[in-house]
Amino acid sequence: MPDDAAPLLEVTDLSIRFGKAPTNLVDGVSLTLERGETLCIVGESGCGKSLTALALMGLLPMPPARLMSGRAMFEGRDLLHLPIAELKDIRGDRMAMIFQEPMTSLNPAIKVGEQIAEAVRRHRGASHEEARARALEMLMRVRIPAPEKRLDEYPHQMSGGMRQRAMIAMALANDPALLIADEPTTALDVTVQAQVLDLMRNLQAESNAALIMITHDLGVVAEMADKVAVMYAGRIVEAGPVKAIFDDPQHPYTIGLMSSMPDLGPRGGRLVTIPGVVPPADAMPEGCRFASRCPFAGPDCAEAPPLSDFGGGHRVACWRAPLEQAAEPLQTLGGAR
Amino acid sequence: MSRPDIILETRALKRRFVTHKPLFGAPIEVRAVDGIDLSIRRGETFAIVGESGCGKSTLARMLVRLIDPSEGAVIYDNKDISKLGQKEMRALRSDLQFIFQDPFSSLNPRMTVGALIEEPLRAHGIGTREERRVRVADLLSRVGLMPQHADRYPHEFSGGQRQRIGIARALAASPKVLIGDEPVSALDVSIQAQVVNLLEDLKEEFGLTLIIIAHDLAVIRHMADRVGVMYLGELVEVGPVDEIFANPRHPYTEALIAAIPVPRVGARAKGHAVEGDPPNPIAPPPGCRFHPRCPYAEARCRQERPRLAPIAEGESVACHRHEELSLNGLVEGAAGRAPAAEKRFNLYRAARATSEGAKPSDNSPPPFPSNKE
Ligand SMILES: Nc1ncnc2c1ncn2[C@@H]1O[C@H](COP(=O)(O)OP(=O)(O)OP(=O)(O)O)[C@@H](O)[C@H]1O
Ligand SMILES: Nc1ncnc2c1ncn2[C@@H]1O[C@H](COP(=O)(O)OP(=O)(O)O)[C@@H](O)[C@H]1O
Ligand code: SF4
Ligand code: SF4
Ligand SMILES: [Mg+2]
Ligand SMILES: [Mg+2]
Repeated sequence: MPDDAAPLLEVTDLSIRFGKAPTNLVDGVSLTLERGETLCIVGESGCGKSLTALALMGLLPMPPARLMSGRAMFEGRDLLHLPIAELKDIRGDRMAMIFQEPMTSLNPAIKVGEQIAEAVRRHRGASHEEARARALEMLMRVRIPAPEKRLDEYPHQMSGGMRQRAMIAMALANDPALLIADEPTTALDVTVQAQVLDLMRNLQAESNAALIMITHDLGVVAEMADKVAVMYAGRIVEAGPVKAIFDDPQHPYTIGLMSSMPDLGPRGGRLVTIPGVVPPADAMPEGCRFASRCPFAGPDCAEAPPLSDFGGGHRVACWRAPLEQAAEPLQTLGGAR
Repeated sequence: MSRPDIILETRALKRRFVTHKPLFGAPIEVRAVDGIDLSIRRGETFAIVGESGCGKSTLARMLVRLIDPSEGAVIYDNKDISKLGQKEMRALRSDLQFIFQDPFSSLNPRMTVGALIEEPLRAHGIGTREERRVRVADLLSRVGLMPQHADRYPHEFSGGQRQRIGIARALAASPKVLIGDEPVSALDVSIQAQVVNLLEDLKEEFGLTLIIIAHDLAVIRHMADRVGVMYLGELVEVGPVDEIFANPRHPYTEALIAAIPVPRVGARAKGHAVEGDPPNPIAPPPGCRFHPRCPYAEARCRQERPRLAPIAEGESVACHRHEELSLNGLVEGAAGRAPAAEKRFNLYRAARATSEGAKPSDNSPPPFPSNKE
């Protein structure tokens, strides 16, 4: 039996690269997650958020991907070094994943109710009737209107928001302890997004499942997260409790992301941006990977800064943090590069 | 009260699409845009917002006559352009330019960036070849790219850079009105911010009128002077941006604002999401089209269709109950930052200003894959 004092999920030093690429696309990522907790991973596209999630779920084809290092302890087992059969038993049962595009996990040719029932039968050995009853219950729990009727519908007969709910119903059918959601509301209208976020919050409170939610929307983070990991170019550059990240951001990338977002108040001039783009894998800067875009960068940034603890579980990987201490000598460094 | 200077106007504008032709009986139609009266003022930024499928793109495309209206008029500079022939329309085309949402599919992959930007100039017979070459180089630097990028192909650029190319192309013909259909939606927030700044700078520089379609209400809040809210082919509210966000007058506007995920911890009241999906424009509900989802609907709303009517200078709403309802705007505390965050933000801004003085600004990202400068 797994140790009850241990965190539900503990990822240590996860590094992934593709084929003969010179750099890791996920580089030294460590995370912990307690039961019932929500961790949001935020960052621009291409920062390795999805790769991290897929690796944890055992859904990353290896090869071409290569696991360079790492452990991911989940209920006493290392997800990264588990035989396929054992992974398949855990997936869809103890842990489940939901995607931005529901058709990634829904089969277009099978009725929604049957798909959910099948997930229940496979892992629970339930009878046909029990599984169907469970499917109906799940459709009710995700508040799909007329659930009896929807059981016998195909995914394409549903709206985008409804399909997203059906996928959530399937993911939660076996009461997983861990749910990983990769941009689950990015393709939805704001109104439907608000519904789905409310729903996920409620279901999580009921089941005490832990949630890793991947998003690039800081608004969604502020609403959902207990804690946050900010990823840039494959690395976690800042992590901590959600309040610390929003009210006391330390890393120049986090601050740049926040200032790039238009404020909801009356307009206040030009947006303060992050220059340039995320470097492609074959042009990753040595040392701090944010250096090519960072207005605080100096010669010392050619060496990678460690993820240091700033108290209360707030960790930051930047030589200049806290910035106000660094602001003075910075003048002589002359900004980026 | 003098009438504002109107550059572009629509009157009872409609567009239907036939979605299905049964063997017998009438063809099934979707009323994508169903009677829109809109006045865009010269020099303003007007934003159009609404859920997916409500007809925003269809409306925008009719404004530049990328598609023809089924009924009604589009009036540009006192001319009904919906009735113009091909030739007369050609002469006006350069005034009204369009920026597409998808920078990946809206550029012909087999043309160089230079040829893409030059195309509208050639089409309108503007300048000699040499003059056009100079103009292309100038446009590229205006949108934050480099003149030597003219010889490259779109796939060599990142999403944000492709959107810049699309903008340069739209600017080539010296337009008066620029219409962007979700011009920043496909971009990451950092790149989105760069393009939003660019659009605003260009608007200033060229004295443009901007019409922006966006589903991100924060972007709209930032860019727009006035906002039109669409629901199922109709405008349900039009007003100045500050009024729309602080004092929405239509229940649907209230619902949209309540749904904005606010980037401050604990700011948004949870659990106030409007119910239901956007309904199907093939069979819109009778009466007020919003009534199946409206928390304030009453008997009258199920039968009578409310018309968009002025309620104050520059403000209109289509709701039977707008006078009695008192609706909520953006939650208190949605804007602004905590003191420590504000301090860091100011340090960041100062550092950006310093480093921008030392090297080219965010408008000159290095060319895409080889950005190891
Ligand atoms: N060429 C077409 N043929 C048939 N139906 C169409 C066509 N173009 C649009 N429609 C329909 O008209 C309605 C309005 O579409 P439109 O593209 O204008 O919406 P939108 O508000 O731009 O949505 P989105 O936010 O998803 O871009 C939709 O129901 C759409 O399916
Ligand atoms: N199958 C793959 N082969 C090669 N590179 C990949 C593959 N999948 C993802 N990548 C690269 O890995 C990086 C991180 O990707 P991803 O995790 O999808 O980013 P995010 O989810 O943060 O947008 C990107 O540079 C992407 O191009
Ligand atoms: S100051 Fe240096 S270490 Fe800190 S984020 Fe910028 S480049 Fe990286
Ligand atoms: S007319 Fe009635 S149903 Fe329509 S928005 Fe107003 S109150 Fe709601
Ligand atoms: Mg991703
Ligand atoms: Mg559209």
